[in-house]
Amino acid sequence: MYRRKLLPILIFVSLLCLGSGAMAQQQRRQITGKVVYQDSGAPISGASIAVKGTGQRTTTGQDGTFSLRADEGQTLVVNYIGYASHEAVIIGENRVLDIALSPQITDLSEVVVTGALGIKRSARELGTSAQSVGNEELNLGKVVNPLLALSSKVAGLRVNATDLTTGKTDPGIQIRLRGTRSLNRNQNDPIYVVDGVPLPDITRINPNDIEDITVLKGSNAAALYGSEGVNGAIMITTKSGKSGSGEVSFSNNTTFANVFLLPPQQTLFGQGQNGLYSPTANESWGDRFDGEVRDFGLPINGVQPTKLYAAPSEDNRLGFFDTGITVQNDLSFSGGDANGAYFLSLQDVRINGVIPGDKSSRTGARFNGSRRFGKLSTSFNMNYVFFKNNTTSDGPWASVYAQPANIDYQAARDWEDPTSPNHPLNWYTPVSGARNPIFMADNNRNTFDQHTFNTRLELSYELTDWLDVINRTGLYLQSEPGRVTNRQLVSTVASRNINGTVNDTHRDFNRFNNDFILSFHKDFGDFSTKLLVGQNMRMDNTKSINVQANNLLFDDIFNQDSRTGELGGGSTITKYRSIATYGEFTAGYKNYLFLTFTGRNDKVSVLHRDRNNYFSPGVSASFVFTDAIPSLQSNGFLNYGRLYSSFNRTGNVTLNPYALNLNYSQATGFPYGSLVGYIPSSTEPNALINPEFVRSFEVGTQLGFFHNRLNADIAYAYSDSDGQIFNAQTSRATGFSSTTVNAGQMINSTIEVALNGTLIKKQNFSWDLGLNFTYTKTRALSLYTGNEFTIFRQQYAIVGEQYPTLRMTDFLRQDGKIVLDQNGNVIPSEEEVILGTMVPPYLFGLNSNFKYKGITFGFQVDTRLGAWMYSEVIPRMYTAGTHIETVQYDRQPFIMPNSMVRLADGSIVENTNVYSQGDRAWWDAYGNIQTVTAAKGDYLKLRELYVGYALPSKLLAGQKLIKKASIGFVGNNLFIIRHSSNRIGDPEALYNQTDGYSSFRQIPTSRSMGFNVNVTF
Amino acid sequence: MKLKYIKIGLLTVLSFAFLACNDFLDVNDNPNAPTDENLGLNVKLPAALNSSASYEATQLNQIGGLWGGYWGTSNEGVGSFSSLKNYNGPAIRDTRDGIPVWESTFTTLFYYKQILDQATAESSLFYAGIAKIMMAYHFFILVDFYNNVPFEEALRGSVYLQPAYEPGQEVYTKSMDFITEGIADIKAASIVPGNDDILFGGDRDSWVRFGNTLKLRALLRQSEVSGREGYINQEIAKINQEGSGFLSDNAAVNPGYLNTSGKLNPFYESFYRNNAGVAVNNYAIIRPTQYLIEKYKEYNDPRLAQNYVAVSGDYKGVVFGENTVADEYAALNTSAFKGPVENGNSPAGILKAFNQSTVIMSLSEAYFLQAEAAERGWISTNSTTLYNSGIQASFNYLFNVNNYDISSYVAQAAVSLDAATNRIERIITQKWLALNGINNIEAWHDQRRLGYPDFPNSVTSPTPGAYPRRFMYPETELNTNNANATSQGDVGVLTGSVWWDND
Repeated sequence: MYRRKLLPILIFVSLLCLGSGAMAQQQRRQITGKVVYQDSGAPISGASIAVKGTGQRTTTGQDGTFSLRADEGQTLVVNYIGYASHEAVIIGENRVLDIALSPQITDLSEVVVTGALGIKRSARELGTSAQSVGNEELNLGKVVNPLLALSSKVAGLRVNATDLTTGKTDPGIQIRLRGTRSLNRNQNDPIYVVDGVPLPDITRINPNDIEDITVLKGSNAAALYGSEGVNGAIMITTKSGKSGSGEVSFSNNTTFANVFLLPPQQTLFGQGQNGLYSPTANESWGDRFDGEVRDFGLPINGVQPTKLYAAPSEDNRLGFFDTGITVQNDLSFSGGDANGAYFLSLQDVRINGVIPGDKSSRTGARFNGSRRFGKLSTSFNMNYVFFKNNTTSDGPWASVYAQPANIDYQAARDWEDPTSPNHPLNWYTPVSGARNPIFMADNNRNTFDQHTFNTRLELSYELTDWLDVINRTGLYLQSEPGRVTNRQLVSTVASRNINGTVNDTHRDFNRFNNDFILSFHKDFGDFSTKLLVGQNMRMDNTKSINVQANNLLFDDIFNQDSRTGELGGGSTITKYRSIATYGEFTAGYKNYLFLTFTGRNDKVSVLHRDRNNYFSPGVSASFVFTDAIPSLQSNGFLNYGRLYSSFNRTGNVTLNPYALNLNYSQATGFPYGSLVGYIPSSTEPNALINPEFVRSFEVGTQLGFFHNRLNADIAYAYSDSDGQIFNAQTSRATGFSSTTVNAGQMINSTIEVALNGTLIKKQNFSWDLGLNFTYTKTRALSLYTGNEFTIFRQQYAIVGEQYPTLRMTDFLRQDGKIVLDQNGNVIPSEEEVILGTMVPPYLFGLNSNFKYKGITFGFQVDTRLGAWMYSEVIPRMYTAGTHIETVQYDRQPFIMPNSMVRLADGSIVENTNVYSQGDRAWWDAYGNIQTVTAAKGDYLKLRELYVGYALPSKLLAGQKLIKKASIGFVGNNLFIIRHSSNRIGDPEALYNQTDGYSSFRQIPTSRSMGFNVNVTF
Repeated sequence: MKLKYIKIGLLTVLSFAFLACNDFLDVNDNPNAPTDENLGLNVKLPAALNSSASYEATQLNQIGGLWGGYWGTSNEGVGSFSSLKNYNGPAIRDTRDGIPVWESTFTTLFYYKQILDQATAESSLFYAGIAKIMMAYHFFILVDFYNNVPFEEALRGSVYLQPAYEPGQEVYTKSMDFITEGIADIKAASIVPGNDDILFGGDRDSWVRFGNTLKLRALLRQSEVSGREGYINQEIAKINQEGSGFLSDNAAVNPGYLNTSGKLNPFYESFYRNNAGVAVNNYAIIRPTQYLIEKYKEYNDPRLAQNYVAVSGDYKGVVFGENTVADEYAALNTSAFKGPVENGNSPAGILKAFNQSTVIMSLSEAYFLQAEAAERGWISTNSTTLYNSGIQASFNYLFNVNNYDISSYVAQAAVSLDAATNRIERIITQKWLALNGINNIEAWHDQRRLGYPDFPNSVTSPTPGAYPRRFMYPETELNTNNANATSQGDVGVLTGSVWWDND
C-alpha cells in the first residue's frame, strides 16, 4: 500500500532535480575559498555562498571549500544556520577567500533546533513549536537526572518527581507535554531521542554530556516519529567535541539534602489508649507528656526499660532521616581537527539517600567520535552506565508517622544491641506488628545493578550536492540483575517473626533501531526544497526472570537452596517489532515562507495482521512576515516576526504485545505437584482493535523585539484523541473486569507563552530573564460504558469534567455547614463531591540570570495553580493520634464550630450543645471523610538558586595548565509557598505516575544545597 | 548521472520496503502463556474448584464469622474489619478497600462458564454437569448477598456489556433447574474426570448428592416466603424421584495443599499460620464472641476446648463491634483458635494441618438441613435422628475420629431436640455451632431468615438493634452498569433485604 505512495514522491523529486540541470552558468572569474568556524578553525560544510543580487549560489563541501564564478565588485554572502551572515566583496585579483563564521545564536531568525530524526533545522522553517535548553542552562542546578533539569524551563512541559517507592536515590520522573492524551496513565510519555535514536529511557544520561535538549512539543513537531511522537519528543544532542586543541574539564559537585514539608505532627500526647498511658501501645492516644520517667515496653531479661515521657524533639520523625549526600565527579576530554572530533567523558555519582542505608551510584563513560572521509561522514557514539541501587522498601517511613510521638528514632539506631529496647525482639509493642523502622530499613533490602550500554553508528554519504544518504543504527542494551532480601527474625512472640526471603530478578532489554534516510535539498532561485524519505525498523526484546524463596533457613544465607517449601519464580519474554516508512517535503520561498508535508506509514507487530498498517499525515506552514515585509522592521521595535501553524493526524498503538488473544495462566497456588489449574485473564481481548488517532492543530507566533533583546513565542495547541485503545472497565458480571476497546475521546487545549529578554547588556554586566506560562485544559468527551472511569482511587475520568477529576466523600452538609449526628460524630455524604482537576491547569516559570564580570547569580521560580491533591497519610495520622489537629481541643470533648446536628426526627438544627468526643474513634471517622485531607495544590517554589564565580583570566595568566576555573553554590527546592489548605506535602512530588496523590508509601520531599568546583585544563 | 543516483535511491527504498514483509512482524504469538485452544477441561476444572473453595474458606468465612455471631476483634484488631463491624455499606462496596463478593463470585463463575462452553462443544457431559452445579452454587451466593443479579446476560463478555438484572427469586429458580440439568448430565456422562475433580474425584454419586443437598439448602432458604409451598413440594419431589439422596460425606476440596506460601489450606493460611509456622496477623486480632463462648459453656460443649485456647484456665471472648480498648479484650487475655501448635502438634478442631481439606459443604450441614426439612414436613425422615446425626458428624469432624460418643452431650436438656420448645431454633443453633469456622456464612443467612441464633448485633451499629440484611451493589457495578445497579430498590445494608428474607 505505502509502497505505491512512495513512487510518486520519488518521481516528483527526480523531476525537480532534472529541472535544475537547465540552470545556465555565466562566464566569470573563478573564485575559490574555504569557510571555517571562527572559534575552532574547523571547516564548515553545507554553508551557502550567494552572489548578492544575482540569485547565483553554491554550498561548501565536506572540507569547507567552495568555488564559483563572480565578477569583481560583486559581494559574496555566506550563510550557515546558527552563524552570523558574512559578506565579502570581490576585490582585485583576489581569487581565494577564506571566511570564518562566528556564532550568532541570539538572533531568533537564525535559531537552529534539533528537528525530527535528529536533523538540525532552522527554526524559521518549522510549522510547530520547539524550544531548546542548552548545556549551561540545563546544568545550572547540577541535578543528576537530565529530565529533572527541564523543570519549569520549557513552556508546555510539566515535570513531576514521582517517588516510586525505591526512595529518593532514584526518583521516578513523569513528563507531560501539553497535557494528557491517553486514558492509560502510562501512555502519555514523550519519545526520548538521543542523537537521532529513540531510546526507552534517558534518566541515566549524564546531563553534562548534553549539548542541548530540544523539546518538540506536540505530535506535529514529532510527526516523523509517528505513534511514538504523539506526546511530543525530547530531542537530546550530546556533545561531539570541538576541533582545535584538546580540552580537559573536571568538576565536582557535592550537595546535601534534607526532608521537609512533612504533614505536621503533635508533640503533646504520647503512647497509650483512651487517654491513658500504656508502655506497649502503638498509638499516640495516651495522656499528656509530663517529662517523667516511665516504663517503656516490656521487661528485657527481667529488667524493665524506662524512658522520659516527652517528645524527643520538635518533630521526632526527623530523627529517622539522614541527610542525603550527593557527590558528583565529572571528567571530560575533547578535541579534534579539520576532519574529526571526539568527546570523552567519565562521570561518577554517589548518592546517600535520606533513609538510613539507602544509597545509589552511577558510573558512566561516553565516547562520541566523528570523522570525515571525503564525502563520507561517520560518527560513532558509545555510552555505558553502571547504576547501582540499594534501598529499603516503603515500610519504614509508613511506620514512622503512625508510631507514638515519644519514640526517639535517633536513639533507635542501636537496634543491634540485644539488650536495647530498640532491638526487634524488644521493641515496645509485642503484638501489633509495628517494628522499629530503623531495623526495618536495615532488614529489608532492595538492590539492583543496572548496566546500560548504548551505541550509535551513523554513516552519511554525500551523493551529490543535493542528495545525502544517511544510515543510523542504534543498539541499546540494558541488563538489570536485582535482589530483594528480608532477613529472618525468629521470636517466641508470633507477630515479631519475620520470614527470611530472597527474590533474585533479572531483566534484559535490548532494542535495535535503524533509520535509513535519503535527504534531498535543492534551491531554485527564490525557491528552496527539502525532501526527506526514510525507513525505520525497530526490534524490542525483553526477558524477565525471577527465582524466589519465601522461607529461608538461615539468617545470613540468602540463597534459594536454603529454604523450606517450594521454589518460586518464572519468566516473561516479550518481543515487539515495527517498521515504518516516512517522508517530509519542505518548500521554501525566499527564505520567509515555508510549507511542509509529512507522512508516515507504520506497521506494528502487536495488532492483528489485517489491521496493523496505518498512515499519519501532516501539514505545516511557517511565514516570517518581517522578512516578507521588511518595512515592519523599520521602526526598531519589531525586528523579527513569524507565524506558524500545523495540522496532523497521528496514529498510535498503545497495546502491549500478546493482547489479542485470551491468555490463560495457572491460578494462584497451582501447580500443586502434578495437579495443574489454568484460569483465563480477566481482560477480555479484542483481536479487532485498531490504531487510535490523535488529531492535533497548532498555531503560534514567534516575535523578536528591540534587536532581539526581547523574544516571545506564543502558541495555541489543540488535540483530540479519539478511539483510544484502552482497557475499559466492564461490569464484572460480564465475566471480565475490563475489555480492550477503541473508545473514549479526550480533548486537550493548551496555550503557551515563552518570553525571554535581556534586560541589561553591558560590557561587564548582563541580566537575562525568561518567563514561561502554560494553560492546559483536558477534558474527557466520551468514555466506553457510562460517564466515568476510575483512573486511580479517587481520581476519575468524568465526561465533561476537567481531567483527571478528584471526586470523593464529603461531610453531610447543610447550607455548607457540617452536619453531625446526635453523638457529635461526622456523617459521610451520600453522594461523592467533585473537587476539581488534579493536574494544574496553570504553570508559570521564571528564570533569572545576572552576570557581573566573573560572578553569575541565577534563580528559577515556578508556580502551579488550579489543581487539587489528596493525602492518604493524614487519615492514618488521625487514627494513630499523631497529627497536630488531634490535639487542637486538648483531647477534650468539644462543640465543633459552625456545625449542625441531625436530630432523631431527621431535622437538622444549629449545633449549640452536642459535644464531639475527639477520641480515636471520632478522628478515625473524621479522617474517613476524604475531603478533609484534600487540598489545593497551588504553590510557588524557588526551585533552583545558584551563585558562581569564575576566576578572572588575569589570575590564570602566567601558567598554561589551567584554562578556566570556577566555583559555585547551588540549591534546589529551597523555598515554597503553598496554598493555606495544604498541610499535606510537596504538591509536585506525586506517587507512582499518579497526578496529585500523596501516598503513605512516599517519603517526604527534600531540599538540597551544595557547592561545585569546575576546572578546565 | 543524476538519474543513476535516483535509480539507486529508488531501488534502495523499495528494497527496504519489500523487506517489510509480514514475517518480520510475525512475533505476536505469546511465548509465555497458553491460549484456550491448547487447554483441556482437566486443566481448567481444578482451578475453578479451588477458587470456589478458597472464597468459601476465606471471604465467606470472614463475613460470616463477623455477621454470623462467631467473631469479634481483640484490642489489636480494633481498627480491622471496620466496614463489617459498623455495617458500613458504602465502605463494603468500595473498589479498593471493600469486600468484593460480587467481583470474586463472577470471576469464579466465569471459570465455570468457560468450562461449560467447552464441555458443551466437546460433549463432555460430566464436566458440563459439574459446571452447572457449581454455577448454581455461586449464583445462590450472589442472590444471598445482592438479591437481584444478572443471570441470562451474565458471563457473556462484551456481548452484554451491561447485563440486565433478574429478580433474585428467578435466579434461584433458574439455578435450581441448572442443578437438575447438571445432575442429569453427570448421570448420562461417559467420560469421567479423575484427579482433576478435586472435590469428588469423579465420583458420580457424590456429585449428584451434592447437587441434591444444594437444592435442599436453597429450598430451605425460602421457607419464610409465603406462597412457595407448591414450588418447594415440587422440587422436593424431584429430589426424591432422582433418588440418590443427600451428602454422605463432607464436600471438601483438596488440590494437594503444600507447605509453601500461597499453597496452604487457605483458611489455615489466612487465619492461623503461614508456611514458616508463624502466626498471621488475623490470628492475633480475631477472637470468639462472648456469646459463642457462653453457648458452648451452656451446653458443656467439648468442642469449645477443641476449637479454642484457654486463657488462665478459662475461655474468654470479645464483644462484636467494640471499638474501645480494654485489658480484657487484649489478644493475650482472650481465647485464640486452637491449632496443631497449641494442641501438642496434633490436629485440633477447626484447625488441623496446613493440608487439611477445605469444606465447601459439610456432612453435618447436610443432616441439619434434612432435620429442618423433616421438621417442616417436607421429607419424611425422623428429624431427631437427623439432628443427632448432624451433631455426630460435627463431633467426628472436629475431633478427627469416626464415631465420637455424643450420647451424654445430646442427652442434655439444653441440647436434646425432643426437649426443645422451639425445635427449629434448636436445629439452627446446633447447626450454627457445627459450622463454626467451616461455613460461617450460613449463620448469617439463617439469622436473617429466622432470627436464630439470637446473637447480639454490633455494639457500634449505626442504628441500635439493627442487623445487616444484604450487601450494596459494588462500586465497580455503579461505574459500569449504573442503570441496572441503581434501579433495584432499597439496597441499604440495614434497610434493604433479599427476596427470601421475610424475617
